[in-house]
This record gives sequence, C-alpha cells and structure tokens, in this order.
Amino acid sequence: MKPLPRGRHGLSREFIAEHQRERLLAAIAASLDEHGYDGTTVSAIAGRAGVSKSDFYRHFGSKDECFFAAYDEAVERLRADVVSACAGEGKWALGVCAGLAAALAGLTAEPGRANLLLVEGLRAGPGVYGRFQVAVESFVPYLRDRAPEGTSAGRPPEAADEAVVGGIASLLGRRVLAGETARLNRFFPELAEFALTPYLGVAEARRIISSR
Amino acid sequence: MCRPSKGTRKVADVHGKFGAPGYPCFMPSRGKGGTQARQTQKRPTPSIRPALPREFIALHKQRRIMDALAELTAEQGYEATKISDIVKRAGVARKTLYDNFDGKEEVFLAAFDAGRDEVLRRVEEAGVDDEDWQDRVEAGLAAFLGFVAEQPTVARMCMIEALSATPETTKRYEDSLETFVELTKQTLPKDERLPDTIAETLVGGVAWIVYQQIRRGEAERAEDLLPELTEFMMAPYLGAGLAE
Repeated sequence: MKPLPRGRHGLSREFIAEHQRERLLAAIAASLDEHGYDGTTVSAIAGRAGVSKSDFYRHFGSKDECFFAAYDEAVERLRADVVSACAGEGKWALGVCAGLAAALAGLTAEPGRANLLLVEGLRAGPGVYGRFQVAVESFVPYLRDRAPEGTSAGRPPEAADEAVVGGIASLLGRRVLAGETARLNRFFPELAEFALTPYLGVAEARRIISSR
Repeated sequence: MCRPSKGTRKVADVHGKFGAPGYPCFMPSRGKGGTQARQTQKRPTPSIRPALPREFIALHKQRRIMDALAELTAEQGYEATKISDIVKRAGVARKTLYDNFDGKEEVFLAAFDAGRDEVLRRVEEAGVDDEDWQDRVEAGLAAFLGFVAEQPTVARMCMIEALSATPETTKRYEDSLETFVELTKQTLPKDERLPDTIAETLVGGVAWIVYQQIRRGEAERAEDLLPELTEFMMAPYLGAGLAE
C-alpha cells in the first residue's frame, strides 16, 4: 500500500485516521509473517504502513495492542465470510459445508491472515492462546445451530460440535505451520466429512458433500 | 536438560545428621536459610544409616523443583512465577535450582517432558493386550483421561500453560501432539476411503475438549468424558463398516 502523499490533501482527519489504522493492521500481519512476533517492531510496523511512529501511538498504545486489534479484526472478517456463506443455505448440512468452504477460501486467499490467526498469533505470548481459543469457540454455534438431533445411529456425542471445530482448527494450524496454506482448500472434502459425520453418519455425510 | 547436581557432598553429609526415618524430608530448615542453617542443626545420628546415593537426592530435588513450578504455574501463571517463588515452594536453595537447570524455562520444559512421557507410557501400555482396535483406542483414551484426573496440575501445565509460556514450550506441545497423532495412526485401522488427516483431526478434537475441561477447573472429572470421546473417535469408522 502506498503511503498517502504528505501535506495538505483535503482529506478529513477521520478518513486519514481510519485509513492509517487499517494500514497498520495490515502492516503488522505482514511483518509477523516475515519476522515473527519478536522480530516485529513498532518502527517496522509504522514504516510498512507509511505512518510515523507518533501516528502509530495515536492508534495503539503498544505493539501488543496493535497485534490484538489485528487479530480480532482478522477473526471478524473471517467470521463475516463464514456467516454470509452459511446464511445462504437452507439446510443445515449445506450451511456447514458452505461455511467451511468459505473459511478455507478466506485463509487461502490471505496467507498473512492465516499465519496471524493460526500460527504466529499463537506464539505471540501469554494471553494470545486464550484469544485464539475464544475465537475458535465462537465458531461452534454455526455448527450447533439447527444441527440435527441424531440419526438412526443415535444422538451425536455431546460436545461433538466443540470437538469438530477444535479438531479442524488444530489441523489447519498444523498445516499452515507446515507451509501448506495455499492448498488448504484441498482439505475441504475430508473436513466437511469430519464435521458432518457425528451428526449424520458417514454415508449421509459423503452423499451430501459429493452432491454439492 | 537436567545436569547432575553439583555440590551434593554437603547434602549427603547433612543427611546423616538428620536421620529421619521413612522417605527423607531432609530440608527441615525450610525458610530458615540455606546450607549454614542445615549444617548447624543437631539431630541424633543413627549409626547404621547409609547415606542416600547422590543421584537419588539430586533427582528428588529436581522433582520438587519441577513440582513447585507446576503448582505455581497453575496458581498464578508462568509469567508471574519467579525463581524465588519456585525455590521457596520447593524448599531448595537458589543455587540448587541453578545447579540443575538453566532457569525457569528449562524447569518448565523438564516438567513438561516428564509429564508427557508418563502419559505416553500409560497410553502406550493401555490395551496392549487387547486384540480389538476399538478396545485399544478406548483404553488409550481412558489412560489419558485418567492421568488428567489424577494429576490435574501437571495436565494444566502441559495442555494449557505450555501454550502460552514461551515459544519453546509451545513448540514442545506441538511436537508432543504430533507424537500422539502418530501413536493414534498406528492404532486406527487403515482404509484408503478415510483421509490421511483423520488421526490429526480426531486427536486435535480430543485435545480441544480436554483443554476446555481443564480450563473449566473440572480436570478431576476428566474421566466423565470417556464415553463421548470414544464415540467421537469411532464415528468415522462406524458406517464405513470398520467398527461396530
């Protein structure tokens, strides 16, 4: 992103400020990707965003604060993609598939974000894993809402929804760590099957996935 | 990792002076100062008491230091725990800690490894006589949950604190998870209809659930999770005709 030209440009303070904040959030994600959390400095973030250090501190009190803001914003953007995908589907199972596909696509499209959310973010120090965990948990309702009570095979095990979401998050984290971010989409069929199986059984899960 | 304790000669000499029967609590002067205080304590010396081997004493101290760190980390978190807290809780001298470990992180890693190795041992041994893979999976899960229930402090340290203490402890956790994934892969039946990633997602899911359980302060009841976690792990195999 090119920095705004210096000097008077007739843009409102609010516009510039909002713009700067966005650029700083993007800059920290990029910086983390390249240098890791410890290697990322306020100067580097500000420089990358084309803002001065004092402007940085107008928005955030510290690197940590900037990091948490970037993290939360990345979660919310991913959530927006997932929610709009789920909402577009009438049937629960198709909604789950759409939401999962949107999540994978979202992570693949922005590798810096995937790294922030699933890898570098987790290494940023105390308090971050808690944030990650809360973020992952916040996706459980999308699986749980309108989920079927059970099949002829019986009720899904209690906490199946948490285990599914947690298991998928765990797998995605490991794969991003292994440098496979660009190919996360290929996990869709098996992750969708993993998600639907506790509720519908393997056969029905596969039928639905292959019919998409 | 742990170095054999230097300067144990003093302790070995001192032990003879204490002569406490049973499992030695040979640091009675907790909080009263270090070696000086111990050496001036006058206790009856039983004539036929062999000194404990140096290594035993060293290991015992290492154990106490590791236990102290586990407890303190559970109580107040890794970051807030200072070396002075650890040595006070363990009832050892600061020097003793540094004789055995480079610092706080090394104590943590040693304690983590000890906990992980114990769980691994129990899980590997569980169901080793079972011919049926489903029984082995269930036995392994039971062993794991049993450990969590029995040693909630260590479980918390390994599964929660490790993820936020330092980058190295996070890595240790991830490497350990990998070990459990491999172990699970060996136990689950192979079928080309099932994805390669099945063991990863199952283990990840189980770890997540157990993490939540510990975080809620319900580690002691981890064994309640056995039926649902067993069912969860079997789900992909039922209907695929591989389990009943």
